[in-house]
Parts: sequence; C-alpha cells; structure tokens
Amino acid sequence: MSFSSFDNAPATRSPEEGSPGRGSADERHLAQPEVSRDQPAAETHAPMRHPSSPQGHRSPGFIHRIYSVWLRHVRVYARNLTSNSLPPFLEPLIFLVGIGLGLGEYVQDMNGLPYIQYLASGILVTTAMFTSAFECSFGTFIRLEFDKVYQGMLGAPVTAYNVILGEIVWAGTKGLFFTLSVVVVVAAFGLLPVAALAAAPLVGLLTGVMFGCLSLFIASFVKTINHFNFYFSGFISPMFFFAGVVFPVENLPPAVYPISEALPLTHAVRLVRAFVFNDFAMVHLWDISYIVLFIGIFGALSMIRLRTRLVD
Amino acid sequence: MNNAVDVAHLYKSYGAFTAVTDITFSVPSGTCASFLGPNGAGKTTCMKTLYGRADPDPHAETTMHVFGFDPRTQELDVKARTGVVPQDDNLDLDLNVEQNLMIYCAFYGLRRKYARRRIDELLEFMELGDRRRARVRELSGGMQRRLILARALLNEPRLLILDEPTTGLDPQVRHLIWDKLLDLKHQGITLLLTTHYMEEAFQLADNVLIMDKSRKVLEGHPRRILAENVESHVVELTNLTKLPAVEQTIDSRTIRREDSGSRVLLYSSDVSALKQVTGELDQWDYLYRETNLEDLFIKATGRRLNELQ
Repeated sequence: MSFSSFDNAPATRSPEEGSPGRGSADERHLAQPEVSRDQPAAETHAPMRHPSSPQGHRSPGFIHRIYSVWLRHVRVYARNLTSNSLPPFLEPLIFLVGIGLGLGEYVQDMNGLPYIQYLASGILVTTAMFTSAFECSFGTFIRLEFDKVYQGMLGAPVTAYNVILGEIVWAGTKGLFFTLSVVVVVAAFGLLPVAALAAAPLVGLLTGVMFGCLSLFIASFVKTINHFNFYFSGFISPMFFFAGVVFPVENLPPAVYPISEALPLTHAVRLVRAFVFNDFAMVHLWDISYIVLFIGIFGALSMIRLRTRLVD
Repeated sequence: MNNAVDVAHLYKSYGAFTAVTDITFSVPSGTCASFLGPNGAGKTTCMKTLYGRADPDPHAETTMHVFGFDPRTQELDVKARTGVVPQDDNLDLDLNVEQNLMIYCAFYGLRRKYARRRIDELLEFMELGDRRRARVRELSGGMQRRLILARALLNEPRLLILDEPTTGLDPQVRHLIWDKLLDLKHQGITLLLTTHYMEEAFQLADNVLIMDKSRKVLEGHPRRILAENVESHVVELTNLTKLPAVEQTIDSRTIRREDSGSRVLLYSSDVSALKQVTGELDQWDYLYRETNLEDLFIKATGRRLNELQ
C-alpha cells in the first residue's frame, strides 16, 4: 500500500529545527569504524591518546595549580605589556612632579624630611594598593560574570579555592611590580638612595595581598559592577589621604586619629618608611601583626565567600 | 566496572528552588548519553555536579562515581580524566589560539614539548591548523567553539562533558562538530552532553534522558523511546481554515490530536487513518512526516512554557 501524496509531502524543515529522518543515526554509525565499547580508552588511536603521553591523568600538585592560575593572569597581562606597564611608571612620576615639586615648595618639612622625600616614601605602596584593589574587584568581577574565565578554569584540575588563592598571589605580584616601578622612578630622580629602597617591593607585595584579599571579599557581595564605585569612592580613595601618605596622621585631630590607625594602608606606609629610613620602633611590630592578621582574616573570608560564587 | 559515570539519587536545590530531584543514571564507557529538557529542567546542574562545579545536596542515598572517583570528594581526580565544554564561551579574547591552549596545558601540567605536539594534533583535528596565530577575538563563533572543544581535549580525557556544545552555531559547523564527537566516541571516549537540538541527541546519543521540572521523565535509546512512546507518523495541519471540513474524519480512537495554536497535529501509527483526513486536503494545507524526538520531547514535557523558559 502506498500513498503517493504522503511520499511527495514537502520536507520543509531545516536540520536546525530538528527533524531527523529515522535511520540517519544508523547511517552515521555504519560510516564509522566499529570499536568495542569495553575497550579501554588507552588502547585507541591518535589523536586522542598518545602511547607516549607523559602525564597519565595525574592532577598537578597544589603549588603547580596555584602557579597555573597565576600564570594565566601573567600571560593575559603581558599580552598588552606596553599599555599595561606604562601607567605604573607614569603615575608616580606625575604625582611627584605635580604635587611634590609644585606644592612641595610651599610645604614645610614633614617629620624632619623634605616634603618630596616624605611623599616619595609614602607613594611607594599606594599604587600597589590601587592596582590590587582594581584587579580583585573590577577585574575579578569581569572574569567571574562577563568573561566567565573561572568557569573555564574550573573544568581543569583546579579547585575553586586554588583559583581564589591564585588571584591573591597575582594581586601580590602586581603590588610588587607596581612598587618596583615607583622605586625605579624615585631612584631615577635621586630622591632616595637605591639601597634604602631595596625592601620596598616586599612591602608592596604585602600591600597587594592585603588589598587583594579585601577586594575579593567585597567582590563576593557585589551583584552589579557599579557597586564597586562605593568601595573606591568611599574607602580606597579616602584612605590615600588618611593613611599618612601625604601628611603625618599623628597631626590629625584625636577624634580622627584612631580611624586612621584602623586603615590597612596606614600600616603598609609606616612599615615601608621604616625600611626606607632604617628607623624601626615597637610600633612597626604592631604594623606587621596588623598586616598578617588582616591577610589571614580577609584571605579566609574571601575564600569562603567567593567560593559560593564559583561553585553552585 | 565498565561505567564511566554512575550516579544514583542525586538531589540539588538552590534555596527554595529544586533543580534536580532524585536523578539516577549511568553512562557505559565509550558511549554517549544526552540530557534533553526545557531550560531550567536541571540538565546543566547534573553536569556541574559531576566535576565539582556544583555541590549536590547532602543526601544519605546519593552515590556518585566518575571512573570510580567521587566528584564530591575527589574533584581533582575526576577533572584530570575529564574534558569540559561549558555552555558559555570563555576563551581569553586578546590571546591567540595557541596561547589560549598553552594556558590550559599548564593547568593540566603538560610538559612544554609534549604540549606543543598535542596542540598541533588538536588544531589539526579541529581543523584550526591555519588559525594558530589568530587572535581569538577575530575568530567566528564556530571557530571559538571548536577551540574550546580542542581545549577540553588537551589532557586526553576519557570523558567529555559538553553543555550545549552547538547552540547558536550554523548547520555546517554543527555537523562538523557532530562528526568530531562521533569520531571521539569511536575512539572510546565517553560523551555526556546536554542539548536542545533533538537531532543532536539523535545523531550522537546511545542513551537519551529527558528531564522536566528537575526530574527524569524518560530514558532510553533514542529510537527505542521514540518507537515506544510516540506514534509513528504525524500530520501537521497548517491551514486551519480547512479544519472544520475534516474535523469529522479525525478518528479519536486511532488519532491523538494536539492543538498548538497555529497548527493542529494529528499523531497516529495507523497511516490509513491519517490518509482519511488528508484525502480531502490540498498538498500545501498540511505536512505529513514521521515523528521524531522533538514530538516525543513535547509529549513528555508539555507544549506550554514553564516559568523558567
């Protein structure tokens, strides 16, 4: 029995809309070589399995996992090295010329230092703060919500904690690099002796880690990227003025002084000056303790909080 | 044990919303299983629990094994043997093709020399060999998708998890990707995919799981569940002005009628019953065809949209 009108019925659908003819799957199967399902994958041919494959499905160790997250950030940053590495040199340059030389003429010595030296030693760690805060707020949010970078990474053998720790290490690296570029500028102008600046990048690293942890913690709450404006206008930018960078906090009114003492940047600035002027006191033990505690607390909080954004 | 994946009694909820309810499934090594279901049915969540992207609800009955490893506690062991193609493209757009792959070689701990050879092979396999130095931003959507697939194969995975691998691609690229996936399957790699394209499941899958509202509603070989659950033929009446004229010829004992608004679909395994209806009609008033997985899908999950679609 045949129905000619049925046989001639127009097949108007495109494959996209999903109307497969019966048996099309079968034809495809026939076109392919038969492979036993029970055959282990290791015995199948290239390109999917190399007899000489050296890694054999072992997950890399902890340090390597953090390193590979860090390496990804380095590679992406280095891709635009010219545009990325100019600002860290230009910013301190402009600041020292504009404020230090211009305004400095009218300013008396600070804590017994010429103003330009006071300023130069202060801004050693502020660019580290700004860059790591940006990296772990806007940068992290973009990687999380827009570019979906973490979603890709988490398909590879790294855990969410590894990814977050990699971010923190990267924030520290940027802090180190940005402080190093301030060191170069300050040394090039002969504002401070090179030997005095040797330890500054280390404090820059600590500063980067500190603000990386804090910013990741903030980022874990943020639903739309514009909310970071509150963090920057309300916290990071004011800190620049109340942490002893441009004037000594000891001169602040007694009501304001404790606030300044609570800010993370205050301790980084005081510590870096101690190294630069080789002038240590008991207060710097407090600074180191503060920084260590701050990193511990906000590092742990950001790991716990941000994991819930990475893993459903 | 010859199953690449064994999952039993999986549950997952997000606050008050239940994404996955009591899902049980197995994927034998070297086969392809496909999850079908409307948006929000829980397909992607099932995939995510397999490689640690989602924590399943703690439930005493739940057991999960991927190559014998429990993804809840041995996430890294699972991921070392698995390749993942996520729903969203997530390449580094400013880097070139090769650099993107090198970054992932580091994640898998591949040595540089071996990584280079592996990248060569995979770019060749995915037909991207001449794009090695192209910036990803300049690649078409289809090329980016193929690159993500190549990236998921770097570690020579034994299981490939694909979340809507061909959504948004043109038919040529889709067919290319299907060919590659079939090739991989025949090399012994287990495939686990979610898709909205019925034909994709039909072409690739040995086992189809239809999910709806967090639950599994149907499972089986695509052609078997098709034969067992839906009539063999359908007449789609597209010119509804002719409906009153043929209404009395529709035999409700042998024909299942479904009104979809712009069309009336008449399902039956009795071809002569359908012939009775169409005898009165012009050739262009209706479409006669064999039923397919999409008909089954609609039958299993309903024609109406749910609140998540």
